[in-house]
Amino acid sequence: MIAQPAVPALAAGLVLASPSGRAADRLNLVVAVLTATLAAVLVTTALVDAPGVAWDGSWLRLDSAAGVFLAPAAAVGLASAMISPAYLRHAGRSWFGERRSHVYYYVAFNLFWAALLALPLASNLALAWLLIEATTAASALLVAFSGKRSALEAGWKYLVLTTLGLSVALFGIVVLYVTVGGHGFASLDWSSLGAAAGGLPARATLFAFVLIVAGLAAKIGWAPVHNWLPDAHSEAPAPISALLSAALLPAVLLIAWRTQLALEPVLGRTAIRELFIGFGLLSLAVAVPFLWRPLPWKRLLAYSSLEHMGILAIGIGIGTPLAIAGVVVHLAGHAIAKSLGFYTSIPLLRQDPATARRAARGIGRVSVATATAMGVSLVSLAALPPSPLFISELMILLAGIDAGLLVVSAVAAVLLALGFLGLAHALLEGLLGGRGRRGVGPGPRSARAVAMLTGVAVAMLVALTVAAYALPGSGLVEGLTGGGI
Amino acid sequence: MSVAVVALVGLGFGVALVRRRSLATALVALQGLTLGVVALSLDGGDGGAMALAGAILLVRGAAIPVLLGAARRRTPERALVAPTTSVATRLVLATAVVLVSVAATPPLGLGDRVAEHGAVAMLCLGIAIVAFRRPAILQVAGVLVAENGVYLLAIAVPGGVPAVIEAGVLFDLVLVVTVAIAFAGKIHERVGSGDTDLLRALRD
Repeated sequence: MIAQPAVPALAAGLVLASPSGRAADRLNLVVAVLTATLAAVLVTTALVDAPGVAWDGSWLRLDSAAGVFLAPAAAVGLASAMISPAYLRHAGRSWFGERRSHVYYYVAFNLFWAALLALPLASNLALAWLLIEATTAASALLVAFSGKRSALEAGWKYLVLTTLGLSVALFGIVVLYVTVGGHGFASLDWSSLGAAAGGLPARATLFAFVLIVAGLAAKIGWAPVHNWLPDAHSEAPAPISALLSAALLPAVLLIAWRTQLALEPVLGRTAIRELFIGFGLLSLAVAVPFLWRPLPWKRLLAYSSLEHMGILAIGIGIGTPLAIAGVVVHLAGHAIAKSLGFYTSIPLLRQDPATARRAARGIGRVSVATATAMGVSLVSLAALPPSPLFISELMILLAGIDAGLLVVSAVAAVLLALGFLGLAHALLEGLLGGRGRRGVGPGPRSARAVAMLTGVAVAMLVALTVAAYALPGSGLVEGLTGGGI
Repeated sequence: MSVAVVALVGLGFGVALVRRRSLATALVALQGLTLGVVALSLDGGDGGAMALAGAILLVRGAAIPVLLGAARRRTPERALVAPTTSVATRLVLATAVVLVSVAATPPLGLGDRVAEHGAVAMLCLGIAIVAFRRPAILQVAGVLVAENGVYLLAIAVPGGVPAVIEAGVLFDLVLVVTVAIAFAGKIHERVGSGDTDLLRALRD
C-alpha cells in the first residue's frame, strides 16, 4: 500500500531531472498510469472485501471507505495527468518562467497527488491531518501556477485560510488526544478512537469534535468558511481545478466522516446530525444564488462544488444506509461530471479567452464538441434524470424523510430545485445565448479529444446510474455504515 | 508556567498591534523562543524528547524568523502599509475575541487552566491578526501565532504528544511558511507591495 503514494512522490523527484518539457510530459504520463494501476488494484481489493477491512496496518488501512474515496482521487489524477500537456502547451509564461514550467508543474502535481492518494488510506487522525496540510503547500503553488495577479490572490487566500482552518483542527486533535488519555500515536487510530469512545467525557469530546470538523470545513469548502473555494477553483489550471473539486474536497470530507463515526458512541447521533446538516444546508443556501448569476464557466463550476459538498454533508449527517448509498453515488457522479466540466474549460478558454472573466455565450454555434461536453457536465451536475446525481439526491432526500428529518429534506429539496433552475439557465445561455455571437472553434484534433473525453464521461455516468440501483443493501454500504469505516 | 503563558499571550497582542513587519517578526521569534524554553523545562530527563524540543526551539525561534526577515528584506516597502483599523480598535477587537473565546472554552483536561486559556487565546489572536492585518508578512505572523497556540497546548499535555506528531507538524509548518514566503515575494513583484488589500480582483 505504501507504493500508492510513494510512486508519485518519487516521480516528483525524477521529473526534476527531465531535460525538457516534452520529456517531463512523457515521464509524468508513465508514472500516472502506474499509479492509477496500483490504485485500481487497491480499490478492487477494498470493494471485494467489503464490508470487511482488507488491510489494517499501523499507518495505513484499506477498507470500504478507502476504496470509495481512493477511486476518484486516482481516476481524476490520471485524467488530469493526461490532460496536463494540453494545458501546459498553451499556458505560456507562468510563475516559474516558460522554460522549466512543465517540470515544476509536474513536481507540485505529483506531490499533491501523492498526499491525496495517501489520505483515504490513513489509519490515524493525526497522520490524516499531516497529509491534508501537505496537500495545502503543493496545491497552493499549483493554484497560483499562472502567476497572474488574480491567481496569486486565489493561491494566497487558499493558503492562509486553509492553514488557519487546519490549525483549528489540530487544536481539536490535541484536545481529543488529551481526552482519550493518549499514550502514543496509536491512540488516534480510527479503531482506537472507536474503541475508547464509549468511556470519554462528553463535553470535552464534543468540543474537540466541533473544532476538528469546523477546522476541516475550511478545507472542504463548506459555508461559511468557503471563501477561498470559488477563487482557487477558477484560477487554478483546469487539471488542478478538477483534482481540487473531485478529489481533495471529498478526501478531506472522509476524514471528518471517519472522526464522526469513531466518536459517535460518545457524542450521539443528534449532535453529529446537527453539525453536518447545518454545514450542508448553509452551503446549499450560499451556493444557490451564485448558480443564478452569469458567472465565468470555471467560477460557476466552483459554486457548484460548494453546492455538492453541501449535499454530501447532508447525506453523511442523515447517516442511514440509504443516505450513505446516495453519498457514494453522489461522490462518484460529481467527480466525473465536474472533471469533465473543468477539462472542457481548456478548449473553451482557447476559443474565447474572454470567458475567463465573463459567462460563456453561444458556444453551441461555435463548437459542437465543446458545447456537448459543457452540456453533459451541467446536465449531470444539475441532477437532471438520468444523471446519477438525480438518483443520489433522491436517495439522500428520501433517507431524510425516512429518518424523520422532514424539514431538512424539504428545505434541501427546495434549494436543490433552485440550484437546478440556475444551472439550466446557465446552460441554455452558455450554449444558445448571445444572439449573433460568432467565434472560431477548436481544431479538428482538439475537437476529437473533447468528443472522446465526453464519450468516456457519458459511459461512466450511465454505468454509475445503473450501479446506483444495486448499491442500497450492498456489502459496500454495510461497510460504510456498520463500523467498517 | 503561568508567567510564561501571560508573556506568550502578550507577545501575540504585540503582533496584532505593531505596524512594522520587523517588529512583528521579532515578537514572533521571541514567542517561539519562549515556547521552546518552556518545552525544554517540561521535558527534563528524556533525551529524545529534549532533542526534539531543542530542534523545535531552533526552528520556531530562529529558522522561521530568519526566513521571515529575509523575505522582508527582499520585499522593501516605500512606506508603511496603512492599517485598516486604528491601534485602539485592534486592541479592543483582539481583547474581545480573546475574552469571548476563553470564556466559551470548557475544561480541556490538561489540569492547567492557564495553559488552556493561553493556548485558546493565541489561536484566536492568530486568526484575528490574519483578519485585521493587510501586509502578507504580518498575515504569516498571524498564522505563526495561531500555530504557537496549538504548540503551547501540545507541550502542556501531561506526558506530551507523540514525537512523530510534533516532528510532522514542524515539517508541515516549515513547508507552509516557505510557500507563504514565496507567495509574499511574488505578490510584491506583481503589485509592488506586500499589501494583500491590493489583490482584490476576484469578486462576484
